[in-house]
Amino acid sequence: MNEPPKEPIKYVDAKVYLPYNYVAGDYKARYLRALKDKKILGSKCSKTGKVFVPPLISSPESFAPCNELVEVAHRGVMTTFCIVNIPVIGRTLEIPYVAASVALDGADISIFALLQECKPEDARMGMRVEAVWKPDGERRGEWEDIMYFRPTGEPDAPAASYIHRL
Amino acid sequence: MTTLRNVAVVGFAQLPIVARNEHRMATEMLYPVICQALGECGVERDSIDFQIAGSTDYMDGRPFGFVSALDVMGSWPARQDLHLEMDGAFCAYYAWVRMQAGDCDTALVVAHGKTSEGEPDRVLNLQLDPYYQAAIGLDPTSTAALQASAYMTRTGAADRDLAAVAARNCAAGMRNPDNQVRTAAAADELMKTPWKVAPLRTGYLPPVGESATCLILAAEGKAEKLCDRPVWMHGVDHRTEMQALGARDISRSASAQLAAQKALAMAGMKDAAATDLVELSAATPVEELILCEALGLNAKASQPVINPSGGPLCGHPIMSTGLIRMGEAFRQLSGCAGTRAVPGARRAIAHGTQGHCLQHNIVWVLGTERRWT
Repeated sequence: MNEPPKEPIKYVDAKVYLPYNYVAGDYKARYLRALKDKKILGSKCSKTGKVFVPPLISSPESFAPCNELVEVAHRGVMTTFCIVNIPVIGRTLEIPYVAASVALDGADISIFALLQECKPEDARMGMRVEAVWKPDGERRGEWEDIMYFRPTGEPDAPAASYIHRL
Repeated sequence: MTTLRNVAVVGFAQLPIVARNEHRMATEMLYPVICQALGECGVERDSIDFQIAGSTDYMDGRPFGFVSALDVMGSWPARQDLHLEMDGAFCAYYAWVRMQAGDCDTALVVAHGKTSEGEPDRVLNLQLDPYYQAAIGLDPTSTAALQASAYMTRTGAADRDLAAVAARNCAAGMRNPDNQVRTAAAADELMKTPWKVAPLRTGYLPPVGESATCLILAAEGKAEKLCDRPVWMHGVDHRTEMQALGARDISRSASAQLAAQKALAMAGMKDAAATDLVELSAATPVEELILCEALGLNAKASQPVINPSGGPLCGHPIMSTGLIRMGEAFRQLSGCAGTRAVPGARRAIAHGTQGHCLQHNIVWVLGTERRWT
């Protein structure tokens, strides 16, 4: 028994198959539907008035319910960013590219976004950016309906205007 | 037995158990029950020292999905928080231990699971070892059927005995508005339902259901301020057995038996039969019979009442099932059990379990009076 086996079976292959069908929830269902109409919805905290995008049913900060859905702008400010230099599985983007955090005008938290039509070396915090949508008829009610964000050419926003919305 | 700190359940809320909640994503289901439980205690979120959640990411299909529960639990300013990949009844134990250590006085205990989004049989298959048991496709119904066969062979229990247990739960369950199954069924009818996995019939098994639950615990001194009729912890113990199904006698539950003995001893009681009601996390009639045997109860006696809520056969939201047993004990002992109230109930047992064939069991003894003076 102390001898190692001559031709050991060293591994067992196991395939795990776990399908899921996610409920969007009433708030995100309306948010996703609105993307088809080129609208971005957020929800407003009933206590602090802060607007969350995508909409949350309650404020993680104040614990108060968000009872109201509000439309926010397609444009905003790039609050922080990084430059991706390695290929990501499932993404065919030309590297390097800029992955950004964008605080839309009217929103109190930022969303993750892809920045295009901008050289990585030109990207900077405070840069004004806008959404570029898929054409009419091709939007399906999913986050990919916004293809990417691009610089608007407006003057940069001062840090004080977005530092709390990173 | 040394004197321990008196800790009480002071609030409980649950979403009614449904096959699929189309309106709320996984953690969103938690928000209304946390608000309701806090509301019943008349306090704001800031009054609670500690929070703990029970869920499993495999069930929800979200890696680190439990982290998103923080967003609906009122986790700001930064809180003391813990997550267990276990039923909420075990989370309550962790919070109780923290209170014994003295580092918190109040705790929010929640459990949630979005079972309708995935396939629980596939998920729970992964609890078994990957070489032999998971590989042949064993799911909880199959292992429960193996257990049922073993129990029926050892004791001589027949199909009719299983049907009688299921029928009694269904009859009780009609009075519980939070149940998923609220239709009476006679034992004769249940015996005509098709086999799911013999010897278990579809009529003996709960449908897939989901819920979210919130229990609030408070130590003596705080508990009386939060609740007019706090329900005190008298005893608790949990024990686990080997994972390998072949390594233990699945026709019995040695771990439930030992946990019950220890919990009753802590409660200063000799006999589970001295309680007024018992809520068991029995997902099949055979599990109920095995648990009654482990607790030393005669399942046919009039006292204690077994599963006056209808039990898990009328609604089995995985992760919440055990916490609901504690919530039901609280409702009974605090006079909030509505038409299913057990008259004059003063002491109760609530049981939770994890794993295939009752692998891990927790037994709580609760009462209307403080345990230690």
